[in-house]
Amino acid sequence: MSFLEFVEGPMYYAAAAIFVTAGLWRIIGILRFGKKPDLAPPRGSATVGRRKGNLRHFFPRGLFAERTWMDILGGFGFHLGFFVLLFFAAPHIAFVERFTGLSWPALPRWGFIIAAEIAFAGLIVLWARRFSDPAMRQISDWDNHIDTWLTFLTMLTGCLAMQESVVALRATHMLFVNIWLIYFPFSRLMHAFTEFLSRGAAGASYGRKGMNP
Amino acid sequence: MRHILSFLAICLIVATGDPASAQDSGMQTRESIMERQRGLGLSGDYSLPLGQPPKPETVPPGSVPQLGTRGYASDSDIWRALRDGSANASPSSSTAASQLMQVIGDDWRMIRHDYLIKYAGWVLLGAICLIALFYLIRGRIMIRGGRAGKTIPRFSMSHRVAHWFLAATFILMALSGLIILLGRPVLVKGLGEWLMVGKLGMDDSVVTTLKSFNGVLNNAALQGHNLFGPVFILSLLIVIVRFMKGNFFQKADFGWILKGGGLIGGHASSNHYNFGEKTWYWVVVLVGLMISVTGLFLLFPWLSDNLRFHQAATILHAIGALGMICFAMGHAYVGSVGMEGSLDSMLRGEVDVNWAKEHHDLWYEEVTGEKVTHDHDDTAPTGAGTAEGTA
Repeated sequence: MSFLEFVEGPMYYAAAAIFVTAGLWRIIGILRFGKKPDLAPPRGSATVGRRKGNLRHFFPRGLFAERTWMDILGGFGFHLGFFVLLFFAAPHIAFVERFTGLSWPALPRWGFIIAAEIAFAGLIVLWARRFSDPAMRQISDWDNHIDTWLTFLTMLTGCLAMQESVVALRATHMLFVNIWLIYFPFSRLMHAFTEFLSRGAAGASYGRKGMNP
Repeated sequence: MRHILSFLAICLIVATGDPASAQDSGMQTRESIMERQRGLGLSGDYSLPLGQPPKPETVPPGSVPQLGTRGYASDSDIWRALRDGSANASPSSSTAASQLMQVIGDDWRMIRHDYLIKYAGWVLLGAICLIALFYLIRGRIMIRGGRAGKTIPRFSMSHRVAHWFLAATFILMALSGLIILLGRPVLVKGLGEWLMVGKLGMDDSVVTTLKSFNGVLNNAALQGHNLFGPVFILSLLIVIVRFMKGNFFQKADFGWILKGGGLIGGHASSNHYNFGEKTWYWVVVLVGLMISVTGLFLLFPWLSDNLRFHQAATILHAIGALGMICFAMGHAYVGSVGMEGSLDSMLRGEVDVNWAKEHHDLWYEEVTGEKVTHDHDDTAPTGAGTAEGTA
């Protein structure tokens, strides 16, 4: 078995299994916490509040937006670019199709490159902000930096293998993908899923009180 | 290339005539070879049909004989005519309208191989040695009188993020560019052929392995370099705009130069940026823009049909990048281990008051309204230098 076969075979299956199992474990654990019964009569809809909590916080308002424009640009740039890369890059769709038979239209190569550039620019800006702001540095721990670097290296190795002509580069990318999948559920990378739960919970609480989240 | 090869193929077909009539056209056939081997028909030109004397070809005046088999125009004559443009060929693209081949590639290749690649590594090594030598002689430049424990703001968050954004993309571009330029000479020639095989007596197969490794590295580096190029340009433009204020040369800079930045002739006053920092800024602006523009032409070759321009672009791109890498190493040294307190400005946005008084006294006076006296000039702690760094 070659290294590529290993990282695309047994190691990938193991990584995917850990990602799904541990991720579900965490999400179910959070949901099972539940919340204390609120005996006060509701003044609004918790469901509407939950929805608003998620949608309204996509973009900060007023003075806060002015002060955090860099995080907004970097954050949106990275996340949108990464989303596009992950789901619309032709090699990724081909990989998913190989395992599931599902496929959808892919981005052209130039679109892939632009998405990658936006994602990289965003990620670098976010990381630079993290370590060059004393307050951000104080509240950041190793997990934040590992998350950033692991995501960066996974994206980087993928882009270095873009010519799809060198097996070693593809294998390196797959190795990082596997490590990223294994690390994901145990880190703050889980915010990809828990973000909606926490914003929803806060929004529901506000909504029930008749307030705008 | 495809057009040139097609053109040559057409020339060959036209010159040799109908392939079916090989005997008539003078092509060798199995029969002619066998007869020649039997000692028959050895006329001195075995490409001629047996029994026929060579006929002089009629060449129209002003034209050059095409690739023929009769021996009147040698291959070298034809290639020479193609090279100097007198062949009157009609290429689809070239530096001259009627020139099928151009030879400036020879000059370009010579400059690249005999100068650029040959000396690039030594230039980088020289820069590292200079920095190390400076460190050995001067040591770490300490803040005279030590830290005051009180800080003043120097760079905003947007300044810092812009700086690190450019630094990160520059490092990525520099590393991938150096692999592309020096991967083969360093890995294959230097490490493999010279050291491992030549000095350590290892098997030749190690060179083959290193060649494969270098191929993988180059493949990856080229993708990375092309991908991060536009991101580097974006970060460069942000830095140019964000740092322009205060980076125009001022009167105090002349004094700074005369005192060698404080290395000779005592304390050298400076504004928000000293002469060294301003020079670095303008190097970043000019050389950065130059390597960006030349890089764009290399990334999108269809932007120009002029081959000379592309060849010049590769040379300028590499020379500019090498110069910038050398400058950047010096900048990184003075901005971190070389000078106490410098890194704070880019990590925290604030600098120690004593650092500000020592290195940017005019700026300190402007910001605080407080007059700076250089009482510590003669009481520098052991190992402390007096240079006003270019962090």
